[in-house]
Formats: sequence, structure tokens, C-alpha cells
Amino acid sequence: MDLTVEKLARMIDHTELKPEAKHEKIKQLCEEALAYRFAAVCINASHVQYAVEMLKDSDVKVACVIGFPLGATLSEVKAYEAKEVVRLGAQEVDMVMNIGALRDKNYDLVKTDMEAVVKAAGDAHTKVILETGFLTDDEKRKACLLAKEAGAYFVKTSTGFGPMGATPYDVRLMRETVGPDMGVKAAGGIRSFKDAIQVIEAGADRLGCSSSVAVVEDFRWAQYSDIWMQHDKPCWTCPSRQANLAKQPKDVYLYYKQRCLTCPDREQNIFND
Amino acid sequence: MSKSLSGKYADAAILHVSLTDRSIRREPLSPGLFKGYLGGRGLGVRTLYDRLEPHLDPMSPSNLLIFAVGPVTATSVPTAGRFAVITKSPLTGTVFDSHAGGSFGAHLRRAGYAAIVLEGRSTSPVYLWINDDRTEIRDGSGVWGKDTSVTTSQLLQETDSQAEVACIGPAGEHGVKLAAIITDRHRAAGRGGVGAVMGSKNLKAVVVRGTTKVAVSDEEGLNKTVERARRLIKKNQVTDKSLPIYGTPVLVSLINEHGMLPTFNFQEGTFNDAEGVSGEKLLERFSVRQYHCFGCPIGCGRISRLGGEEVGGPEYESLWALGPECGINDLEWIITANNRCNLMGLDTISVGSTVGCAMELTQKGKLDSSLRFGETEGVLELIDDIAFRKGLGAELGEGSRAFASNHGSPELAMQVKALELPAYDLRGVQGHALGSATSNRGGCHLRSYLIGPEVMGAPVLVDRDRTEGKPELVILFQNLSAAMDSMVLCRFTSFAWSIDDYAEMLTNCTGVRISGPSLLVIGERIWNLERLFNNREGFTSRDDQLPPRFFKPLPEGGSRNRVVHLEEMLPKYYALRGWDKEGRPTKERLKRVGIDKT
Repeated sequence: MDLTVEKLARMIDHTELKPEAKHEKIKQLCEEALAYRFAAVCINASHVQYAVEMLKDSDVKVACVIGFPLGATLSEVKAYEAKEVVRLGAQEVDMVMNIGALRDKNYDLVKTDMEAVVKAAGDAHTKVILETGFLTDDEKRKACLLAKEAGAYFVKTSTGFGPMGATPYDVRLMRETVGPDMGVKAAGGIRSFKDAIQVIEAGADRLGCSSSVAVVEDFRWAQYSDIWMQHDKPCWTCPSRQANLAKQPKDVYLYYKQRCLTCPDREQNIFND
Repeated sequence: MSKSLSGKYADAAILHVSLTDRSIRREPLSPGLFKGYLGGRGLGVRTLYDRLEPHLDPMSPSNLLIFAVGPVTATSVPTAGRFAVITKSPLTGTVFDSHAGGSFGAHLRRAGYAAIVLEGRSTSPVYLWINDDRTEIRDGSGVWGKDTSVTTSQLLQETDSQAEVACIGPAGEHGVKLAAIITDRHRAAGRGGVGAVMGSKNLKAVVVRGTTKVAVSDEEGLNKTVERARRLIKKNQVTDKSLPIYGTPVLVSLINEHGMLPTFNFQEGTFNDAEGVSGEKLLERFSVRQYHCFGCPIGCGRISRLGGEEVGGPEYESLWALGPECGINDLEWIITANNRCNLMGLDTISVGSTVGCAMELTQKGKLDSSLRFGETEGVLELIDDIAFRKGLGAELGEGSRAFASNHGSPELAMQVKALELPAYDLRGVQGHALGSATSNRGGCHLRSYLIGPEVMGAPVLVDRDRTEGKPELVILFQNLSAAMDSMVLCRFTSFAWSIDDYAEMLTNCTGVRISGPSLLVIGERIWNLERLFNNREGFTSRDDQLPPRFFKPLPEGGSRNRVVHLEEMLPKYYALRGWDKEGRPTKERLKRVGIDKT
């Protein structure tokens, strides 16, 4: 892969979504985004106005999360939130899908929810967060197709607050589902340049990271050894390894764990690593 | 004698002191030495290789004891106040460098020096007093026999309260092979018996006060580089959170979870009472504040409250050696023992490991002693006996290899090249194991700290069980460490900085354009020269070995069922190093890295 530090930075949404983030943290986030020329900063709504001012003369965009992190609010509320942050200057909105509705197979509600935000966002690009850790593979595929039909620009794996982060497996599945013309954003748990490259190779064209500086800075180590990109044990990056009964519905948890039984790499799954 | 005119490292001097005839002379730092070997470890190794006769007794007057700083010392580069001590080790017989923090290094550099080269032996105890460009050899009989804290206080009274002291305790005076050199009361150039070499010269201390501003070639460039470097330290989880909050003992829980916390002299890899001796518990019960070495924004050092007194430490390695290694779970006692070692001027790692070895020998009926795993009774007194070479302590002071061999069980000494291995069970980390086996100074975790990538995921988590690619990674980290030790910077900076960052700082400071890859070549040159030194002393591939324990699996814990696959990695390592099967550098490789053996 012909990837440079600069190219990698241009694929990253530099993210700060913690509820306790103070004003100073957002200032630092924007300064770092300018210094490294990240694609965007990804923030909560209350910080949009300030970030827009900070980044006004740059090509760093402001992305704002909508219906975050649960996605379970009313479509009207999501639409209003999207409209307001775009009015304040946000150029991208990352909305959380109505996850429960999708699991209920209430696809109309899921799609109209997405459409409401896409419409409210206007020229701003909408990314739809699936929160893959709550979904089976079939549900992920369905969600991707609904987002595409709803006119979203990106599908996005996770909020970073849910049960799983972005895995190459999920990114690959999403890319195969939406095809080459729609964006796929991998977010959640991307802490090293190896994590970043793995999801890029799986098909992601945008990454959401709160460790963005470390990811791009540490990428400078890549030139000194090939070992960093050595293939991991398959379980290391598999969603089934991340499955957690305390954080997931029982049926979803068992769905992932039962896949281990028929996995071709099951001999390597010794849970001693 | 006149000071360096510019304040730049290239104009710094080397102070040559003969303790035999009390002559003192000052020589310029040669450009070849500076450009080829930087300073610190590299400068010392090159000097020793050129000047020491092969097979020299390390305790003889002809051995050299070198205190060296580097091209970034006392500049604004973070952590640039350290110094290196380089000598031929009485414990290992190898070339040896041992490093310490504090502020001594910064003072030495500000006094105008790149290094002090000490040789000979005084007929009576002395100390060296360097007050900027004035140097005196002073009577040290007033502090001979005193512990390191009393010595420090007394010498600061005799000289200048703003000076810095590097001294030995009773252990160094008695030629104990585990003796350290202590600065600022609790920072130690701990390993390899460097304190014994100092004691063999009847040199109690070096006291230095330097006040000259150090100059760099590109101040504006350095300001930018340092600003960035400090920012990276603040952005890194390890250097901004873990180390400042818990100190190095933060590793206790992590390494124990991985089943790699050596327990009962490496018989087990999980310590049941790890929580009680963890960094978290140290913070809750004893930590008073952080300790920062010169110019360090991290502050990994601890000051602990012990009774009514404040004492330094303990560091992770010390805490392990005097704790889990000996099965001891009493954190207050561990802090006491750590402080006792500092006062006596002893290497905590080697002391703890050698006592642990004695405990196992006793457990197995090979030694008749009262030592028992988990029991502290008599151990503090034993530490004193090691320092004063009394009774069992005199035997232990020779190090674990000699001790275990004398009792018929050399395999129970957890060492490489006679240097006791630190706090990581090597069965759980293949790369780190290879790095330990091939270390030029023996069992050491710092020559190639692969705990970073193999356990902590810095910069990337690599599979600790795999052997593929590990020889390459070990070589990368060994070369980088050699370069960093020759710039004389703290190893912890590498959690936050990349190789290019070091090169840029070096360029800013010296004006010599150095890239990341060329910095690694300097490191490789130093590594190969160390190897040549050791080869000349008779070291071969047979010495790149690990104790047999590491080839039998751990029965339980996070590293159970694992052994070290050294036989797979070592031949590849030699091939990649450009060495023959005996572990000797080939002519081609020496030429490639620019070593002129003559």
C-alpha cells in the first residue's frame, strides 16, 4: 500500500466525544487537526460553533455526531439536531442509526430515520453509524443497504461507546455490501497505525480515532521494520473475540461465539495470548 | 585549563584523571569519536576497546572508569540530564555501561566536559571535585565507610550545596561485584558492579558543579523539535499517565497478568499477592510525590514515606527483585530493603535475584541457610553483610552465577553472562528473550526493550509468542538503544518518540546532519564494537544462552505452556547481524558499519 504519513492523516476524523471533554480539549483537538491536516474533527454538538471558528481557514472539516451514542431518540430530534449543527457550520454529520428498530426488522422506520437526517443535513455529508457490535452480519448488510438507499455518504462501524470497535472483518463486509462508490468509516478501538492500516486494507476510506496523533506519529516507525504489519493471530481482530455478554444482548453474543465452533482457525483459539 | 569556548558539545573536553599519580589533564573531544560514537556509551566503549589490554582484571588499577554524557546533555531536550558509567565489569567480564538519572550529567556537561576518564588507584580514599573548570582530587577519608546518603550530605557541605554527587557506599568500597554508583541518594548506575571498580580505585565520589550554559548549533530548530517532543510525551498514555501516576511499578499488575512476573526465583510467573505490591498499592499507601530527573517532563521516580522519613523508590525492577522474586509480599519491607540497598550502594536487581537464588538453593537442600521464600527475617541484615562482605553475604556478593556454581547448581542462577536477569519471565516474550540472550552486557532488559511492542503494544502490539521477525526487531531495538545511550537519553522517551525524532534533536544540537537510518548505523557500530570487545575477552556464541529453566514450560498463569525458542532465533540473529556462527562480526560487516579494528 502506497501510504504516507500525510495520506494517512487525510483519512482520519480526529475525534473527541467524551462527555467530560473540556473546552481546552476541543481547542487542542482543533490545533492538532490543523497541524496534522486531519480530514475532520469529530465532536459533540455543543462544541461545533467553536470548532468551526477555529478551523475556518483550513481544509479540516467539522463533523458532528447526531443522536449519539444510542441512536434511540426520535427522528425529528435527530433531524433538528442535524439541521442546527449544519447551520452552525458542521460539514459532516455522523448519525447513530435506530438500532433497536433494525433488530425489530422495522426497516421503514430505520430508513425514514436516516432520510430525515440526510435531508436535514442538506449539503453536509451524512455518515450512518451502525454500531456493529449489536448486530449480526445479515443485520449489518441490511443496515448498509438502507443507508445507501437513504442517501447517506458513509456507513460507519461504531460509536466507540458500544460493545465492539471497528474490525477488519466488519469493514470488509460493509465495503462489499455498499460497493466502491459509498464511503466506509471505521471507528472505535483504532489505537495504532497497524489497526489503521488493517481497516484501510479491508476497505475503509475514513477512520475515526481519538488516538490520531499517536497513529500518525507512530507510523514513522513503519519504515524501520516490516514486523509491525505481520499478520496477527486471526482471533485478535475477529469480532467474536470481542463479544461480551455484559455488553451485548444474549442472542447477539451467542451468535458471535457460536461462529467460533465452525471457524477454520478454531485451533488457534486457545485464549492464552 | 580553560573551558570550552563555544559551549557546544563538539568543543567539550575529556578530563583524564590518574588516581595513581594524581595527574589531571584535559583533552579535546576528537571529532572522530564524537561523529562516530556520539558520546556516553559509544564514547566509553570506543575508549575501552582502544585502551584496555585484553583479559585485564577489572579490579586492577589499569581498568578505566568513565563517566560520560552526550551531545544533547543539559540542552532543552527532555530527559537530557543523565550520565553513563562505562568500564569493564567485574561481574560479567564484558564491556559494560550503566546509566543513572538525576542531575549529575547536566552538571558535568555544564562544567565543559563530555567525559571523565579515571584510571589508576589512589593509595588512600579520595573524591574528585569538579567545580566548573577547576578540578581537585581531595581527601575522602572523612566519608570512607559512610553510606551514600551521609556521603552525599557531607560532600555537599564540603564543596557546594548546589553541586551533584555520584558516590559509592560500603559495597563499592569492599569490592562487591553487585556494587552500584548512586547519585542524588536514590538514582543508581546500578548494574554490573561499576561501584566495585570505583571502590578499587579508592575513589569514593565524584562531585561536580557546572554553571556554563550549553550551546547548540540550531537553537531555533531545537526549540521547535523539543516543543514537538514534549507534546508527544503529553499525548502518550505511558509517558503522560501510567508513569507519572504510578511510576515504573505500574508494570507489576500488567506483567503479572501476562504470567511473566518472575516468582520464587523464576519458578513461577504469577505472584498471588501482586496486587499488594502493585503500583496502585504503592500510590495508595506510600507515595508522597513524583521525582523528576533533570529536564524530565515524565517524572517516573517515586518518593515514598517510610516511617517518618522520605526515601527514594522503589522502581519496578527493585520492587520485583526484593519482592515477588523472593516471594515477599510486604510492600513496606520492600521499600525498606530498597532503601537499604541504596544506602549501601548495591544493585537492587542483582541483590534480590541472588538472594532469591539462595532461597531456592535452600529450598532444594543445596544450601544450609535460614533463607525461605516469602520470609523477610534476616534479609535486611544479609543486605548489610553483602555490602560488607561478611559471612554468607560475602558469597552472595560475587553474584548468583558464582554463588549457585559454588553450591553445585549453576542452573539455578537466573543470569546471562553472569548478570542477573530482571523482572520478566522470558518464556512469555520470545523477542525479549532473544534480546536478553544476545545482550552485550548480560541479562538486561534495556538493551532491547521488547516489552514495549510485545506486551505494551508500543508502537504496535506484536505477537509475543511468535519467533518470526523477532531477530530483526531485536536488532532494531538494540541499535536504537545503543544510539540513545550514546546521546544519553532516558529509554522511556521511546514510548513517545520515533527514531526520526532522536535524529532531529541530534542534528539540532550538533549541526551534523543525521537521519534516522544513519543514527541506527551509529548504534550498530557501537553494538559491533562491544561485541568485538567481548570476543577479545573470549566470549562466543556459548555465552549467548539462557538458563535451562527457560526451556521448560511454566505450569500455569498467562504464559503457561511456553518455552523460549532460542534455537530458532539465534542463527537468524547472527546472520542478520553479519556475524559468523560463533557470534563474531565478519570483516565485511565491520567495514560496512565503519569500524577500524586497528
